[in-house]
Amino acid sequence: MNGGSAALRTLSPAAAAAPPDRTLLLLLPAMAMLVLMFFVPMVLFFVRTFIEFQGGRAEFIALARDLLFSQPYLTALATTNWIALTVTLAVLLVGYPIAYYLTTATGPSGSIVVLAIVLPYFTSIIVRTFSWMVLLGEHGLVNDTLRAIGVISEPLPLMYNRLGVLIGMSYVLLPYMVLTLYAAMRSIDPLLLRAAEGLGASGFYTFRRVYFPLSLHGVLSGALIVYILSIGYFITPALMGGQHDIMIAMLIDRELEVAVDWPAAALMSLSLLAVTLALYAIYYRVTDVRRLIGAR
Amino acid sequence: MTRTRLTRRNLLIAGSAVLATPYLSSRPARAAGQVVIRNPGGAWSDTQKKYIYEPFTTETGIEVVIVPTTLTKMLAMVKSGNNELDIADAGYDGLVELDKAKALAPIDYAGWKYTNPDDIPEEYKTANTAGMALYATVLGYNKDTFANNSQPKGWAEFWDAKKFPGARTLQDMAAGTPNLEFALIADGVPMDKVYPIDIDRAFKSMSRIKPYIKKFWDTGALSAQMLADRDIVLGSIWNGRLQAIADKGAPVAIDWTQHMLSIQAYGIFNGAKNLKNAQLYVDYAMQAKAQVGMPRELNYGPTNIKAFDMLTAAQKANLPGSPENMKRCFIQDVNWWGNNRAKVNATWSKWILT
Repeated sequence: MNGGSAALRTLSPAAAAAPPDRTLLLLLPAMAMLVLMFFVPMVLFFVRTFIEFQGGRAEFIALARDLLFSQPYLTALATTNWIALTVTLAVLLVGYPIAYYLTTATGPSGSIVVLAIVLPYFTSIIVRTFSWMVLLGEHGLVNDTLRAIGVISEPLPLMYNRLGVLIGMSYVLLPYMVLTLYAAMRSIDPLLLRAAEGLGASGFYTFRRVYFPLSLHGVLSGALIVYILSIGYFITPALMGGQHDIMIAMLIDRELEVAVDWPAAALMSLSLLAVTLALYAIYYRVTDVRRLIGAR
Repeated sequence: MTRTRLTRRNLLIAGSAVLATPYLSSRPARAAGQVVIRNPGGAWSDTQKKYIYEPFTTETGIEVVIVPTTLTKMLAMVKSGNNELDIADAGYDGLVELDKAKALAPIDYAGWKYTNPDDIPEEYKTANTAGMALYATVLGYNKDTFANNSQPKGWAEFWDAKKFPGARTLQDMAAGTPNLEFALIADGVPMDKVYPIDIDRAFKSMSRIKPYIKKFWDTGALSAQMLADRDIVLGSIWNGRLQAIADKGAPVAIDWTQHMLSIQAYGIFNGAKNLKNAQLYVDYAMQAKAQVGMPRELNYGPTNIKAFDMLTAAQKANLPGSPENMKRCFIQDVNWWGNNRAKVNATWSKWILT
């Protein structure tokens, strides 16, 4: 982050005459890692899979069409996007107030909230998902408590269905939204709010016309990050979902591990990658990455 | 100038020497080499270490290196010609896939000196695989819901949701093999006539029980968790998984009627770097005293019949493959699954959405 802001400073007009920016070299290790550990293996996987495919081009196209237009694939695609969209909206609704609170909090209370958001990340996602199962099951803590105080007589179906997936995924993805929003909100100049207030705007009006528009790029960034992460989700829907909650990543896993059908898995992965890249292109266009890291 | 300059190359050499020194000095066993084994991990790995790997190293000086990996990764390593493994310790169904890919070498039964090959029944060994443990997919139930031996006995009763109400679980396609066998038995097919599986008939039968399935399980941990949490009261489950939660106090038990027996086996890779050590290891691991750890600690049955002599009557009663339990089980036909899994997978993907 420091390297990033230093690089940005040298890009400012005042430094236009400076010699070529050597701080960019700081990014080399990260770039090398990305290329070697992500890009190269992925390309090799696709290339090898397609080279090994038995049959001609016509057969390959037929396979792709049968697969990508099949009912299970299309349903999983719809399910995946529906879940991703719902999770994105849910974490936005929950995360926005938290992020706002963090920008105003002073002293230890803010640190405690940040800790509460970040700390779960030191535990494995599988452990955390199993903890949800203990909480949300038919005889879990939530249902048992509600029954004990007489709110319900029959257990609420909170797990092993779509709701379970949404709860589990929202929980895991909430910090991405909060931290992104926080970075965006922190860069909003509080003087603007005071100016609006001074000009007689109500609190809600100020929020609607001043604060929210200024935080919008953070909202979009957060939403896209959460959405992109959501469409590749695997563990949470597999453990917390019901019979119908099949997301694309689960289909890909099944093609790889069970059917040992690599061309099919590669095709599905490729389609998922295409969606992700398309979303990333939007992300790149609508957000200014530099503002995300707090530079002005 | 005679003084050696500290060039980067020298530094690297010096560094490697420093790194290698403790490795060489503390391990005289290195002289006998090593053997690299794929192991599924977890409690399985711990027990293997205690009963097989460590005694084997003490006896032969050969170091056992464990690599936990999935079937797909093994297939990828074989295909890329970059296989670091000597032995796969895997489900027989997975080994069949490796064998189809021509990845496995013959087991040198004739050269065995620790184990008498005749102590391993024929159904547990093939030319390229040696079955070393047995596990069962059984009917697990909640003892509070079905007290006093009132549980469904067998799959026809499991399928009868009126007489035996309550949420259930069965195995998901993602676990490799859904319980089509049980579906057929529930539909009236005798245990010994299950294979070849009539896929259509099995799925029709599955459709009848589907409304009562809360969730299909794709990992052993999930089936155990659901049963322990009382989210389900009936389910197909691996016997070792059920025993583990029963030992921790969960009110669950096994009904052994019509259970399915599966085999965990060793396969040695073609072109293994430590082929000789691998053959010696498999020989060593198949003897009774090496196999007896699995039944004692994890309730997996031994394939070496001599191992049963080392177990108590109480231990045997709860073991897959024991003489008593052999009368009420059928052995999973992994070759049928190997030839039909892709087809079943495609059918499953459509069926699960209906």
